[in-house]
Amino acid sequence: MSLEILGILVVAGIGGIAVLLHLLGLSNGRRFDGKDDARAAWLREFPDRDATDILLSDDARAALIRGPDGLGVTWCFGADTVARPLVDYDIVSKTDGIQIVFHDIAAPRATIRLSPTAVTRWQEWMRPE
Amino acid sequence: MTDQLTYPDVVQLAVPFFIAAILLELAWIVIKGRGGRYETRDALTSLIMGAGNVASGILLGFIAWGFFMLLWQITPLDLGTSWYVVVLCFVLDDLRYYWVHRFGHRIRWVWASHVNHHSSQHYNLTTALRQTWTGTFTFMMIVRAPLILLGFHPAMVLFCGGLNLIYQFWIHTEAIGKLPRWVEAVMNTPSHHRVHHGRNPRYLDCNYTGVFIIWDKLFGTFVPELDSEKVDYGLVHNLGTFNPLRVAFHEWAGIFRDMTRRGLTLRERVMYAIAPPGWSHDGSRDTSDEIKRKHLAARPEDAGTPGF
Repeated sequence: MSLEILGILVVAGIGGIAVLLHLLGLSNGRRFDGKDDARAAWLREFPDRDATDILLSDDARAALIRGPDGLGVTWCFGADTVARPLVDYDIVSKTDGIQIVFHDIAAPRATIRLSPTAVTRWQEWMRPE
Repeated sequence: MTDQLTYPDVVQLAVPFFIAAILLELAWIVIKGRGGRYETRDALTSLIMGAGNVASGILLGFIAWGFFMLLWQITPLDLGTSWYVVVLCFVLDDLRYYWVHRFGHRIRWVWASHVNHHSSQHYNLTTALRQTWTGTFTFMMIVRAPLILLGFHPAMVLFCGGLNLIYQFWIHTEAIGKLPRWVEAVMNTPSHHRVHHGRNPRYLDCNYTGVFIIWDKLFGTFVPELDSEKVDYGLVHNLGTFNPLRVAFHEWAGIFRDMTRRGLTLRERVMYAIAPPGWSHDGSRDTSDEIKRKHLAARPEDAGTPGF
C-alpha cells in the first residue's frame, strides 16, 4: 500500500469515526449522580484514603473530597472519572468557577464550574489550616 | 544466505479491516445496547495513537531493521523460508512477545512505552490501536535477537510480529463473551485480555500473552476472568488528559522527573528507571505487589483465589 493511500485511509477513517461517534451522542460527558457516586469515584482510585466530606460542583462534574489523609478532587473525564489528591497545585479563577492546575503531566488541569458562592465554599475548604 | 527476503507489511494492509471492524462493533453496541462503550474523545485519542505508532514505525523502523540485519550477517544459521519455518517462527515470536510484554509491565523503562496502551478506561476495538510511539527507545528489539541468531530471517520475524499484532486487535472487545472451552484453553481471547486490561488488584500484571495463552499458564501469570468481579479498565491512577502527546510521553517525563530529584543515591536514580512501576525510594507509592498486599489485608478471604 502506498503511503499516500495509507495516509488518506487513516485520516478519513479517524475523522469519519470521530464524527459518527459525536453524531451518535457519545460526546456527552458524565455527571456524578450525587455524593455517593463521587465518593465511589474517589475510592476507586484511592481505596485507602477515606472520603468523609464531599462538596459537589454546580454541574455535578467534579467533587472536592475531604478525609483524614487530606483533600482531593475527583472529576468527570469523558464518560469516566479521574481523581487526584490536592498536593502541588495552583488555582486559577475563571468566570464560571475555578481551574485546578496540577503539576502533573498526566492530569494537567481540572475545570470546576461553580457559582460565586460555591467558589467561596471550595476555597474555604482548600485554605491551608 | 537469504538476504533479499520480503513479506507484505500486514499491519498497513490491515488498516481497512481495522476501520470496518470498529464500525461493526460500534453498530453492534448501538443496536444491541450492550457489548461495550464508546466515547468520542477517548476513541479519537486511541486512533491518533494508532496512526502515530504507524508513523513512528516508518520513521524509526530502520533502527531495529539495521540491528536485525547486522545479526543476520553474523549468524551462520539460515532456516530458510518453508511454511513450517514460518509457523515455528510465529510460535517462537509469540513467546518473545510474552516476555517483552511482561517486561513492559515490570520494568518502568519499558512500561513508559507500553502504559499508553492501558491508558483508556474503555475497552473496545479502538483501544487495540492505542499503541506506543516510543517502542524503539525501550531497546526491547534485543529480545528478538535469539530468533534471528537461530536462523529466522529478520523479514520473517517482523512478518510474524505483524500477524501477532493483528491477532491481538480483535480481542479488545466486550462484545464477545467467552469462547468454547478449547479455544479459551489454548488461545488468547477477549475474556483473557479483558483481564489483562483490568486495574482491579486481582487483575494486575497477568495474561501477558499475545496469541497463545499457554505461555501465561506455563509461566504462572494466568488469571481467568471471574463472573464475580467485573473488570475495571484503565490505570491504577487514570490519566486526566486526552492529549496524545501527554498520553505518549507522560511516563517518560515521570521517569526523568524522578531520576533527577535532589538527594537520591545513584542506585535510587537507576531504580526509578528499571524497578517495577510504582516503586519509590521512600515507599510513598505502591507497586502492583503492594496493591495486592493491601487488598488482601483488607479482604483476607480473597487469599488463594485467582490473582492473589
